[in-house]
Formats: sequence, C-alpha cells, structure tokens
Amino acid sequence: MDKIKNPIGRALIHAALVLFSIYSIVPFYWTFLQSFKSFKDANSRTPKFFFTPTWENYQELWLRSVPENGALIAYIILMAVVILICLLLFAKYIPVRDGFIYAFVAVGFVALLWGIPKLVETAKFYDYFINTIIVTVGTVVVSITIGSLAAYGLARYAGLLGVILLVAALGFRALPRLAFILPYFWMGSAINLLDTHLLVILTMVAVNQPFTIWMLRSFFMEIPADLEEAAMIDGASRLTAFRKVIIPIMWPGIISTALFSLLLAYNEFLLVRVLTQTTWTLPVAISRYTGGEDPAHLTIAAAAAVSATIPIILVILFFQKNLVKGLASGAVKG
Amino acid sequence: MKRNTFFRFASPSIIIMMLLMVIPLIMAIWLGTNYVTYNNIASPQFVGLRNFIEVLEDPVFWRSFRFTGLYMIVVVPMQIIVGFTVAILLDQVSKFSRGIYLSIFLLPFIIVPIVGTLMFKQLFEPSGLLRWAYQTIFDTKFLYTEITVKALILFHGVWLATPFALVTYFAGIQTLPIEQIEAASIDGASGWQKIRYIVIPHVRSLTIFILLISLMDAYRIFDSIFVLTRMNPIYKADTLMTYTFKTAMTVQRLGKADAMAVLTVVGVMIILIPNLIQTYKEQMRER
Repeated sequence: MDKIKNPIGRALIHAALVLFSIYSIVPFYWTFLQSFKSFKDANSRTPKFFFTPTWENYQELWLRSVPENGALIAYIILMAVVILICLLLFAKYIPVRDGFIYAFVAVGFVALLWGIPKLVETAKFYDYFINTIIVTVGTVVVSITIGSLAAYGLARYAGLLGVILLVAALGFRALPRLAFILPYFWMGSAINLLDTHLLVILTMVAVNQPFTIWMLRSFFMEIPADLEEAAMIDGASRLTAFRKVIIPIMWPGIISTALFSLLLAYNEFLLVRVLTQTTWTLPVAISRYTGGEDPAHLTIAAAAAVSATIPIILVILFFQKNLVKGLASGAVKG
Repeated sequence: MKRNTFFRFASPSIIIMMLLMVIPLIMAIWLGTNYVTYNNIASPQFVGLRNFIEVLEDPVFWRSFRFTGLYMIVVVPMQIIVGFTVAILLDQVSKFSRGIYLSIFLLPFIIVPIVGTLMFKQLFEPSGLLRWAYQTIFDTKFLYTEITVKALILFHGVWLATPFALVTYFAGIQTLPIEQIEAASIDGASGWQKIRYIVIPHVRSLTIFILLISLMDAYRIFDSIFVLTRMNPIYKADTLMTYTFKTAMTVQRLGKADAMAVLTVVGVMIILIPNLIQTYKEQMRER
C-alpha cells in the first residue's frame, strides 16, 4: 500500500505500534525483572523497577550447590557457547566445507551439555533441560524425514489414496490431543514404555505428522516436476533424484517446517504431562512451579520461565525469516 | 507418479499414522464404551453407551462447552481484527523498523504457551505489575474470582493468538497488486476506501485460513486454562479439554473421559467440512 506522508499520521502509527509492542512484551519484561530480584524486592507491595540484581534465583534453579570458583566456570561455559554460535554464524566465511563446521558445532554442543554436570553439581532442572533437547531434536529429525518423503509423494501423485491421506491428516490435526493421549497412556503402560523418551518422541512425531505433511507438501508443489524427471531420464532412480535434486532446492522450506516442528515439540505440555512421571520436559517441569501458593516460588518460577524462553528466542532470531516465510506460504496455500 | 511409487514414499508416514492415530482413535471409541479406572486398567468393564449418556447429562460438561464457545467467540474475532489492524499499520513503516517490531510481535507466538501463561500470572501475583495497576486505577483489591479469572483467560487468549493472524495478514498485504492501489489513488480513493475495497477482498482467502486454524486452536485450548485456574473448580472456567483432562487424571474415569473426547471430535468435524471439499478438488487435479 502507498504510505501516509503526513508527519502527524506517521507519529500516530508509530505510537500505535509501540503500544502494541508493549502489550506483546510486558509479561516477558516483568518476568525477566522478577527473576533477578531478591525475595524481598520481588514481594514488595508496589512494583519495583530499580533494585540490585541478583543471580540467586538462577543458581537455585540450575545448581544443587554453588562451586567456589563458580564465576570462572560460568565464564568458561559462556565463552564456549559464544564461540560455537559465532562459528555457526560465520560458517560461510570460513574456508572449510560448511558441513564440517555444522558437524563440529553439533559435537561441541553435545560435549558441552554432557560435560557441564561433571564440572558443577547441577539440579533437576538441568536434567529436564536435557530431556527437552533430546525429545525436541528426536521429534524434529524423525518427523521431517518421514514427513518429507510422504509430502513429496503427495505433491507428485494425483489419486484417491493421496486425498484419503491428506484428509485423514487434516482430521487428525483438528482432533483434540486428549482423544489420542489416553489410548497412548494405555498402550504405553501395556508395552511398558511409559516414562521413556522413545514413547514421547514417537507420539509427538505422530501428533506433528499431519501438520508436517501439509506444510511440506505446499512447498513441494511449487517445484516443477521437470527437474527430477530430467535427472531420471539420465538414469537416476526416483529416490536418488529426490535426494540429489529436490532436497537441495527444498532446503529453505524444510527449515521452515522444521522450525514449526521444533516449536510444537518444545512447547508440548499435555502429552508429556500424561506420558511421563520423571522424564519431564521443561513445560511440565515449569508448570510445577505454578502449583503452590508459596511466595518463595515466585522468583524461581520467573527464573525458570526466562531460562526456558532464552534458547527458543535465540533459535528464532537466527531463523526469523524462515518462520515468517513459513507462516506466509502456509497461508497462501490455505 | 505411479501409485506404487507413491506408496513407497508415503509408507513410513502412513505406518506411523496408522499405529499412533488410527488405532488410538478406535481405541478411544472402544474405551468410551467401557468403565475404566486406573485400578482396572488391564480388565475394562463393558458398559455400552452409558458413558456417553452420562457425559451428555453432565451439567459441568455443558458448562465447559459453553465456556469453550465463549472463548472462541471472543478470541477469534479479536485476534483477526487486532491482527489485521496492526498488519496494516506495520505495512506503513520503513523496512528497518518493521523488522524490529515484527521480532517483538512474534514473542507471544514463540514463547512456550505454559511459560507465557506463567508470565501473565506473574503480572497478577501479589507484587505484580498489573495487579498494582488495577488496584491503583479502580481503588479496590484485585481478587481471583470467577469473573476476573475468566477475563484473564480471554485477555491472555487474545495475547497468545494475535501474532499468528498478524504475521499471516502482513505477508498477505505484501502481495497486494500495486497497479490496483495506484489506480485507486489516481481516482482519489481515501485510505479507508482502499482498505475496504482492495485490501480486504485481497486477503479473503487468508481470513478463511486464519479462521479455520484459530477456531481449531481455540476449541482445544488447554495449557493456559490449566495454569491460570490451577485446575481449581471454583472459578467455573473449565473448557472441554481441561474438563476431560480432569475426568481422566483427577477423577480417574478414563472411560468417561474418552467418551467425552469422542464427543468433542464431532464439533471439530463440522468446522472442517468446507476445507475437506477444497482439498479433494485440489489433490485430484492432474499434474
């Protein structure tokens, strides 16, 4: 649309947008402040905006005991994370193949996560964090792999079988989770898989599958079929053509879909709440902090909320374009 | 693509969906006809349709149904109106400020829903910012009552759902046909007229899409109610999902809960019918 030139009008537009920004950000901002307050500051009668920040809440959340040279260890861990993220950001400019750098960063993160409990005594929250990472990564990898195969098939095959699969998927997307979760619970207890990562990952893949198929299909539909047909005339099998020709073109679409899968898996509450007793992920662990009326929990809960949000914000900032593009393309097709 | 090849590509996905969606759904219907609690989970007792009748006669079920309806009626239109308005405004500012605003607007969408609700609740804790504001403005104590809790749930619902509509509309506005807008400007159309006669018809299909997705999401709202009411029945703010959850986990009537879940499915199917027809047409097209 053409833009309003009038300066007063422009100022009003910005004012409205700032107002809406405040509305969007205020809960996060307030919780962030609370998480750095001491017990007394957090429970004062009038809200405090100026106070001496403290790490106490985060220490109590993540650590069982505070080590003597804690500051040094924290510094080393932070530096390691920053170096790994920088490697990821500047992978393009380093004269080594990108694949190697990504693999190195992945190994680095795994080693770091594995090594931290050896350095300091971590509390339960750290275990929940690890659980969340395992479940999320597992779900994204499995559901994108099988989802892209099915979505490619759907995009290239016109027939009733495809319609049935798509409609079934849409139906399942719409069904309330609880309709499935109770049978999952029943199945899980029958084959003794309750409280394992495997059951959670498998069920999450199933629950996310409809969405994954629909979104990936809309991306595959945009790629002309001539591309892989050319490869197949040259003697490649369809699977090879799919792997070598289609997937590289599809990469942005796959990342968009993976991002949504990641959000769904990272956020899932109900499924994990019902299917696990000890191997909680963060949403379930955090919901525990809201249970009690105990005011001492207030600041810890705030610290937990911020801790669970920071990783996801980092991931999204990194991939924001893909997220917006994904929302848009899903919409255009719908 | 031949049918066999299609089948080979789709089979992993079909197997997963068969095992973990079709079979559980059949099981849910079957469990719905049984009296099951955690004590006799291995040997359910067949009771026919008694669970379904019990659900339909349960006043709390209907109260939850009404509150779910209220939630949908308030949140979905609000998210569409607010999302569209902000998207139009966002289109007016420069590219640089757009990026910043958009990152902020996306926050409620990417924050874990449970955590977002928890953050909302922090605002209303005894030392919370909004509780303090409420008490300063209205000069009365803020109490968790049926009305305030319900209002809080709806307020949070709009906060949670708006970014999705906003970003979708924003992306849609970027694809507006420029010539049409220019022609309208030459003819002296006001901004309002352009929105009314060009933008709104242009994003019509998006509106249907957002409507479909957000109705489904609002229909199965669970996380925020779970946290905000702490599952306390005195607020009478149960939705279909939380009431089913309660029946299964607290009252431990698995069979009745499954009957309830099956009944709620019927409601979803009605929302979906138009979309199913369109899918059929699109997928059967030769390519």
